[in-house]
Amino acid sequence: MTALIIDDEIQIRRLLRMALESKGYTVREAEKGQFGLQEAVFLKPDVILLDLGLPDMDGVEVLKRLREWSSVPVLILSVRDQESVKLAAFDAGADDYVSKPFSTAELIARLTAIQRRQGAHDAANLQLGPLVLDPVHHEASLDGRPLKLTPTEYALLAQLVRHAGKIVTLKHLLRAVWGPQAEEQSHYLRVYANHLRKKLEGSTLEIKNEPGIGYRLEET
Amino acid sequence: MNDDHRPDPDALLAQVQLADAVSKSGRLHIFLGMCPGVGKTYAMLQTARQRVKEGVEVLVGIVETHGRSETAALLEGMRVLPRRKLEHRGFTLEEFDLDAVLVQRPRLVLVDELAHTNAPGSRHAKRYQDVLELIDMGIDVYTTLNVQHIDSQVDIVRQISGVAIQETVPDSILDRAHEIQLIDLSVEKLLERMADGKVYLGERAEQAVTGFFKTGNLTALRELALRFTAERVDRDLEDIRRSRRVSSAWKTNARLLVGVGPSPYAESLIRWTRRAATRLNCPWLVVWVEGSGVLTPVEQERLTRSLGLARKLGGEVLSVTGENVAEALLQAARDRNVSQIVVGKPDKPVWWRQSFADQIILGSGDIDVCVVRPLAAVDKTSATALNDTASASVIGEYSWVLVTVFTIASVCWGIVPYTGYMVVALVFLLAVVLGAMRFSRGPVLVMAALSALCWNFFFIPPQFTFFINKAEDWIMFGMFFIVALSMGSLTSRLRMREEAERRRARLTGALLRVTQSAALAAESEKGLAEALRSINELLHAHTALIVRENDRSLPKAAHPASTFQPSRKEWGVVAWSYENKQCAGRFTDTLPESEATWFPLQTATATMGVLGLQFERETRLDFATRQMIEAFALQLALVLEKEHFIEAVSHAEVLAQSEKLHRTLLDSVSHELKTPIAVITAALEGMDNQRSPYLAEITIATQRLQRVVDSLLQMTRLESDVLKPSLDWCDLRDVIAAAQHAIGAALDTHAVRLHLAEDFPLLKLDHALLTQAVANILHNAAIYTPAGTAIDVSATLRDQQLRLIIRDHGPGLPVGAERRVFEKFYRVLGSPAGGTGLGLAIARGFVQAQGGEITARNHPDGGAEFVIELNQVSAFVPPSK
Repeated sequence: MTALIIDDEIQIRRLLRMALESKGYTVREAEKGQFGLQEAVFLKPDVILLDLGLPDMDGVEVLKRLREWSSVPVLILSVRDQESVKLAAFDAGADDYVSKPFSTAELIARLTAIQRRQGAHDAANLQLGPLVLDPVHHEASLDGRPLKLTPTEYALLAQLVRHAGKIVTLKHLLRAVWGPQAEEQSHYLRVYANHLRKKLEGSTLEIKNEPGIGYRLEET
Repeated sequence: MNDDHRPDPDALLAQVQLADAVSKSGRLHIFLGMCPGVGKTYAMLQTARQRVKEGVEVLVGIVETHGRSETAALLEGMRVLPRRKLEHRGFTLEEFDLDAVLVQRPRLVLVDELAHTNAPGSRHAKRYQDVLELIDMGIDVYTTLNVQHIDSQVDIVRQISGVAIQETVPDSILDRAHEIQLIDLSVEKLLERMADGKVYLGERAEQAVTGFFKTGNLTALRELALRFTAERVDRDLEDIRRSRRVSSAWKTNARLLVGVGPSPYAESLIRWTRRAATRLNCPWLVVWVEGSGVLTPVEQERLTRSLGLARKLGGEVLSVTGENVAEALLQAARDRNVSQIVVGKPDKPVWWRQSFADQIILGSGDIDVCVVRPLAAVDKTSATALNDTASASVIGEYSWVLVTVFTIASVCWGIVPYTGYMVVALVFLLAVVLGAMRFSRGPVLVMAALSALCWNFFFIPPQFTFFINKAEDWIMFGMFFIVALSMGSLTSRLRMREEAERRRARLTGALLRVTQSAALAAESEKGLAEALRSINELLHAHTALIVRENDRSLPKAAHPASTFQPSRKEWGVVAWSYENKQCAGRFTDTLPESEATWFPLQTATATMGVLGLQFERETRLDFATRQMIEAFALQLALVLEKEHFIEAVSHAEVLAQSEKLHRTLLDSVSHELKTPIAVITAALEGMDNQRSPYLAEITIATQRLQRVVDSLLQMTRLESDVLKPSLDWCDLRDVIAAAQHAIGAALDTHAVRLHLAEDFPLLKLDHALLTQAVANILHNAAIYTPAGTAIDVSATLRDQQLRLIIRDHGPGLPVGAERRVFEKFYRVLGSPAGGTGLGLAIARGFVQAQGGEITARNHPDGGAEFVIELNQVSAFVPPSK
């Protein structure tokens, strides 16, 4: 597996290289956005770690150009922790966001999660730990017992499972479950997320709320 | 939950907006009757009592019982407004007190006799204007009205009864009515009641009124009232049918046009058109063709009144220019897609030219023409007085003509022996042409005739007789007569046309000058001053410009460019005109006793202020002048609005610039501070803490450093004003959980207990800001209270106000520190080391950024209590399963 780090801080790059190589990644580095984009073209990395404050161009801009031709998973790693910055990065196509200072263990977990998504799409049954979803019959079971869900709840849960471990933005969820005209109706999403939480109570699964950004389904 | 029953959010929103719009304007309920004595006031009071029983706050604004005991009995127990007392020429008059009602703001107010004319000195000339103001302010009104007082019915009433009604209300107020209730009584019953003395007939003219109350008259009036109500009901029904299939604003594609001039029949034609338009439910136009003729003051007065009536009745007034009135009218009709033209029936045939109606009919093409018989209006103004000044100047002209003709005759007497009498004719002709350039039409024609006769009498042989010998002299005389007459007439018409043209050019020029000076001046102040000066010169008036402040209130003084300062009394008129977006003051129906006339400076979107004019000589405000001032006012308003926008845009630009600068600075500072910490944290994680106790210490120190850096950056962001709350629906439980998560291990020693109702609604808040604020308070509590104590979090929502209470069970706050704890860098004495004193200051900043407030106090049962209050919080209660 190849990881591309686009960051202008040499110390951060060195540390990330050590951490990633210990997990079996082949690591390439770029200290500028322009170089990063070139590397991405030639190297075709499996995952990209991108800083937002780059010397030659803004990280969001790098992401936008990258997304014109590639769907490679991108993890944003930045000191900026304001909600609006995060939302802009997600809108540009980021897969997840970790703010600096970061915990290496958390970083590796997020990286694994965003890479897993790539393969999980075509499986006949969606599965996460004790939860199994049957996309054909729209049925779910938890710990082998059937889980009663309304169609909306099912659709929402399916979206979260499909992107398990990764943050799913409110906009994405609203669009996928309620349709494009419902992007402003986040109160419905809140209500259904609470219903789902209650139904998953007692299991190892948890729907985490990222303030202002979205939801993340995690197995603890 | 069943998805099918989920309410459609758009539909809900639409309903809410509709309810808002309806609640803004008050409802008008009119009790309509055919004549006095049918029991309108009685019915109104009964309905009002019913409303009181329903718990509605009802105020009796003014009700005339006229000594009837049944009616007076109904008033018992109702809240009655004291009447306003006005002194007028030694009399004390009692009037409805509009201002008191506006102050008290009841839900419903009763105002009897809508058509009443207010005593001089009242704000409005007519009571219906008071009522309009009330419903505009959102107050419901019950009122009574007799059908003969409706403006469009006045002519019919006059035909029926021969009585000309002076107190009228425009039909447009009936269109504003939410409900019109007909109070009907059979004629026999009414006459019976009258015989019993139960009908109040007014104070004067017993016999005139009894003449009016004849069975025939009453039956006709009853029919009128019934028919009027029926037409309304019919229209409402149509409306309901239509609202199911939405299309254009009018039912038919009909459009009526009536041409008016300064004739006394105009008012009647306008009323007729209004009635027809109401019946067809279509728009109607009133067109005035401004020809070359100069109107006499009487005509001017009549025209102004007719056009005023047209406006009052809700017609669109259009003025066009054209030499041929019929042609201009037809052109306007075609331009505006008119389907019917209304013209008056010609009163007597004129053999030498087609009547106006004929001209219209011939040229109308596919437009229908309605020829109606108009009634001449009763002239209320003293026409003779107005005529006096005009005739004085005409008499002067006639004497000039006489003098001129006889002077020429005597001069020619001297030269005739040398030149012959033919040349004299030419001299006379020249005099007629020159005279036509000075005098008006009548004197010129007299001059032409007089010259011809003079020439004949004194110069054509045989002299001193009107007898003419030779055939060629006859021909010469005849031709002279015709040439002199037509030359005089033509020249004078040409001059009048030129004058009219010049007047129009002056108006256009003035408008252009005002626009240019106001809109294109480099300095707006100078431009406005220049514009006002132009208006002053043109209208011989003093002007005052009142420009609203940025917060939409009126300023204390007029704009410096003004040429007069309104007196203290005038400011009331200014405020009224500004708030009601209508003309007020002198020459208007509202507060006519003021010194100046005030025009609101209104654009499509806003009222920018008020323009006041104080005329030096004018004794009335004619239609054209008023239209012109309105055009000036619009131009000034547009200029002011433009400036307002420019100011707003530049302000926004400055804000955006400074925001950008702040953000760049913050970004680079936080990058420089956080990156080393990130490196240290990541590096520490890579090492084995167990092996060296030093590493553990470094880890703790790094965490502390990170907290301080975070606090400082947050504080900076707060103070740089770049925080903008972004509201979204969130669950308070999520907020508390996220705050706990953000604090992490520091909160492990304390249990956070959340007391929140199961069905606590979702709230529209800035999730991130509130989370930070709560986290800082919780963290503070964890530091300052002993390990093992609990922290209680509860919340209430009342009237859109959220109170989030965080209570700890520690030692509480030191006395007097309740406010100071929120100050920057303030630390309670004896605080544990390792804090910046910024946590609560930041919490307060985040709460204030959302428009809320945070307070701290000691709970009576011990421990400190922090309360976050947020106002205007929208809540969403999920529909239950």
